[in-house]
Amino acid sequence: MNLTIAGLTARALLGRRRILLLLPMPVLLIGLTLLANASPAQPDEWAPIVLGQLGLGVILPLTALIVGSSVLGLEIEDGTITHILAKPVPRSEIIVAKLVVAWAVTTVTTAVPLAIAGVIADSGALGIGLALGAAVGALAYTAFFLALSLMSRRPVAIGLIYIMLWENLLVQFVSGARTLSIQQYSLTLADGLAGNTTVLNSNLSTVTAAILAAAFVAVGTAIATQRLRSFALTGETS
Amino acid sequence: MSEAGVIHDIGYQRYEGPRLGRRYSMWSIYVHSVRSAFGIGRTAKAKLLPVAMFTLACLASLIIVVVSSQFPEPILSYVGLVSTFSYGITAFAAITAPELASRDLRNSLLPLYFSRPPHRTDYALAKFGALISSVFIMYAGPLLIMFIGMAFSSGSIGDVFGELGDLMPGLASGLIHSVVVAAIALPLASLTGRRVFATGLIIAVFLLSAPISGALQSFSRGDAAYLAGLLNPVNLLNGVDEWLFGTVNEITLIGRFGPIYGVAALLLAVLGTALLMWRYKKVKS
Repeated sequence: MNLTIAGLTARALLGRRRILLLLPMPVLLIGLTLLANASPAQPDEWAPIVLGQLGLGVILPLTALIVGSSVLGLEIEDGTITHILAKPVPRSEIIVAKLVVAWAVTTVTTAVPLAIAGVIADSGALGIGLALGAAVGALAYTAFFLALSLMSRRPVAIGLIYIMLWENLLVQFVSGARTLSIQQYSLTLADGLAGNTTVLNSNLSTVTAAILAAAFVAVGTAIATQRLRSFALTGETS
Repeated sequence: MSEAGVIHDIGYQRYEGPRLGRRYSMWSIYVHSVRSAFGIGRTAKAKLLPVAMFTLACLASLIIVVVSSQFPEPILSYVGLVSTFSYGITAFAAITAPELASRDLRNSLLPLYFSRPPHRTDYALAKFGALISSVFIMYAGPLLIMFIGMAFSSGSIGDVFGELGDLMPGLASGLIHSVVVAAIALPLASLTGRRVFATGLIIAVFLLSAPISGALQSFSRGDAAYLAGLLNPVNLLNGVDEWLFGTVNEITLIGRFGPIYGVAALLLAVLGTALLMWRYKKVKS
């Protein structure tokens, strides 16, 4: 991994005020968990919505989408990508550095609040399960969105359609769509690691989820590297 | 022809014809924005996404019509179609609104607009109208397909007029949905010139509000549970549909709070428009 590129990426991502936009989501998650915990309703009733639908279903993919598509996307948009491409650095090293930074930022902003929410809602085991599930999901999502930012001029639009229409809409009607949904992998892994609790509804087997998540990461990284090798600088879609 | 003090008369002339003024430039901004929302007059790559989404919506509507024709009663009314499609159409708005507002900010085009006849509010309203129209087209296409399918499968000419009568509430509800969705999306898009963050902001509002309202509904009882639906724009709009057009819909349980949903939707639309105009009053150009 190239520490210089990683450092520059982290500074570009965290050095501006807009990173504060990511802050309301964890606050919202923990706040809602505390509020729900104080209410008379049982965790079984609200935990699938707060932890599953809100935490793993919206906050994790949304953070990963914004972070994953901006680590390389902003450089392409600004044209500063030429400075990196002009250096004698292997393309795979660039991709790995970008991916690690995106993954680390996404994990810190989602897995940590999810762990806290899990501990509040049920037990330490649920907290650890959620944190690890979110960390694996974050890696798969960021690899996917990073590859997308090199394959299309409008990665956010396509990523958004994937999250909204595939993961949150189609999965409800077509159960086969689950096998290609990162949200289901993180949900399944979180559930499996927490010891199959009643507060998360997962539908895949843990082994399938782990293999498919690894496949997403591997394919995403490979495609991103390949695309960066033959990268052509073009303007915005006119 | 040559006057005193003119060395060479190279034939410059003053324009003395009619000037088209504010109205016309506003109309031009509107037309240009609606066209660019669907990628008309732009490259094939820019057309791909909006056209694909429109086709997808029409296909879904076609499937519903075909399935409906196998049953004695249609499985979905026109208003029901609008309510069902609203979730997907928020994704369209989140992609289109930055296309309309953020690109001009990013490429610093606003000084060029504002140095000409249209005022700042004219520009804001033209863009708002364009987003409303584009979103409405996304509703109107599937509705029209449904209408044509239903009209063809009905027997007599009277049935066709009956269908037309049913279509009108559907179109009205589509218009209400478009206005409210646009009033949420466009002010957010006008905040930033980066399309990445503009899309992220809009979608965060639409996506986050759904589970929040769902969670509040799950752990509150009585009146509070009915009112929790107000927090989610899609739910709010479906509540308005239920109140105005009386569709049977088990997603939102509005109880006796129908008028509150109506007032909330109206407030949201007015607030969105006011914020948009205020934003363009302040924006640096």
